[in-house]
Amino acid sequence: MHTLELRNVSKRFDSLQVLDRIDLKIPQGEFAAIVGPSGCGKSTALRMLAGLETATEGDVLANGAKITGPSPERMMIFQEHGLYPWLTVEKNVAFGLELAKVPKPEAKERINAVLEKVNLKGFNHYFPSQLSGGMRQRVAIARALVMDPDILLLDEPYGALDAMTRLTMQNELIRIWQGTGKTMLLITHDIDEALYLADKVYVMSPRPGQIIHTTHYEAPRPRDRSSEEFVAYRREIMKLLGLDE
Amino acid sequence: MIRKIQKLWPFAAAVATLLLLLQVGNWVNPLIFPSVPSVFVRLYEGVAEPKFWKAVGASMYRLLIGYPIACFLGGVFGLLAGLYRGFASYLRRLIAILQSIPPITWLPFLMIIYGFGDVPIIAIVIIASFFPMAIAVMDGTEGVVRTHLEVARVLGAKKSQIVRRVYLPETLPAFMTGGQLAFGNAWRSLIAGEMFGSAMVGLGFSIRFAGEIADMSGVILYIIVIGVIATLLDQILMEQVKRRLLRWRYIAGGEGK
Repeated sequence: MHTLELRNVSKRFDSLQVLDRIDLKIPQGEFAAIVGPSGCGKSTALRMLAGLETATEGDVLANGAKITGPSPERMMIFQEHGLYPWLTVEKNVAFGLELAKVPKPEAKERINAVLEKVNLKGFNHYFPSQLSGGMRQRVAIARALVMDPDILLLDEPYGALDAMTRLTMQNELIRIWQGTGKTMLLITHDIDEALYLADKVYVMSPRPGQIIHTTHYEAPRPRDRSSEEFVAYRREIMKLLGLDE
Repeated sequence: MIRKIQKLWPFAAAVATLLLLLQVGNWVNPLIFPSVPSVFVRLYEGVAEPKFWKAVGASMYRLLIGYPIACFLGGVFGLLAGLYRGFASYLRRLIAILQSIPPITWLPFLMIIYGFGDVPIIAIVIIASFFPMAIAVMDGTEGVVRTHLEVARVLGAKKSQIVRRVYLPETLPAFMTGGQLAFGNAWRSLIAGEMFGSAMVGLGFSIRFAGEIADMSGVILYIIVIGVIATLLDQILMEQVKRRLLRWRYIAGGEGK
């Protein structure tokens, strides 16, 4: 049994075929990534696992059971952070806990712990508009983490950030994940990001998306982006995507 | 303090211009235009009379019943339209037709149904302020960010919770805009309705009465009062409520928008 599984999944929007017979198995605790050109349906695959889309054909499973809708066990982090501008950092993070009717004192404790984990201690009463792009995305991650989900689904979470902030955030993500046993699935078009973070990288073809290759890269972290191995894997993936000269 | 003066001077200049125009009118034709000092004397005397406060009270009563009802109905219809696309396009067509009819034109019709009294005027106020409210809220719901809705779903919100915790706060600015537009419409139609008849008391009635007995400083007095009340309610009360409710919008930003 796998924590996340796509079994022969296809997806069409009207006549547009987005995904074509995808198979994907992610065991518990693994950090997996899907890379592919934009429009290849990788986000759609992730949204299905989050329970926000349904498959036209095939099965979308979590822990062996069919996914029928969103669940607090599977948190998704969106590219455009999706913070509520009318709520403070603390209230944004509290949103899911309030829905789950977690008692106030416990919620407060969990919120402060998670804010510390994402380096936002003391920012409880700031509004999102007062934060930088990277800080906003940290709040979005905190909002998901505070629910203590088994699975984190990340939809190009750093796509809108500048290159330097992105590198910092990648290291933070590793630190947050390591040793927790949480299953991570990251969608990105940044090959380096995928190789730097993930144990397993799935490479998708342009639309209709198909998984054309799976890379197992299990070097210890933090990884060296200029190591021979890293560069070789990158070259291989670029070649698969037709990006080599 | 200095900033306050800087904010106030355009307003003071606008008031001064209007008073100056009146005074110029008085120099040209003293029979039609009362002088500014005489208007202020009249205002001072008028405010002391119980008749004046009765008129203000009657108008405010109609406004305070009609306007909140219209805002509530407009808000509910606007939200429903936001949630159900089919209903939205139906409501848009309906409003497009009805809005082209000046609210005051319903008055004869309403007077036949309800007779003389407050009800026809309150109905006019409701008709006048319903449409801008409904349209503003409808536009607001269309602007609800999709990610905001999806985040709520992922975090475990049910439909009713999404309405209350995402739709409502996200459309609150639209509610405020709609409320302000609706207020302007309500006020204009209220005065017009009172002038037309159906009630023998109210600011609109007072101004018509003053006109019929050629009491020109009385006419000017009521024009000033009508303008002052509307400005106070709109610029001071509504702006304050807006700033309080939408505090997050007025907070000085960091790097972001």
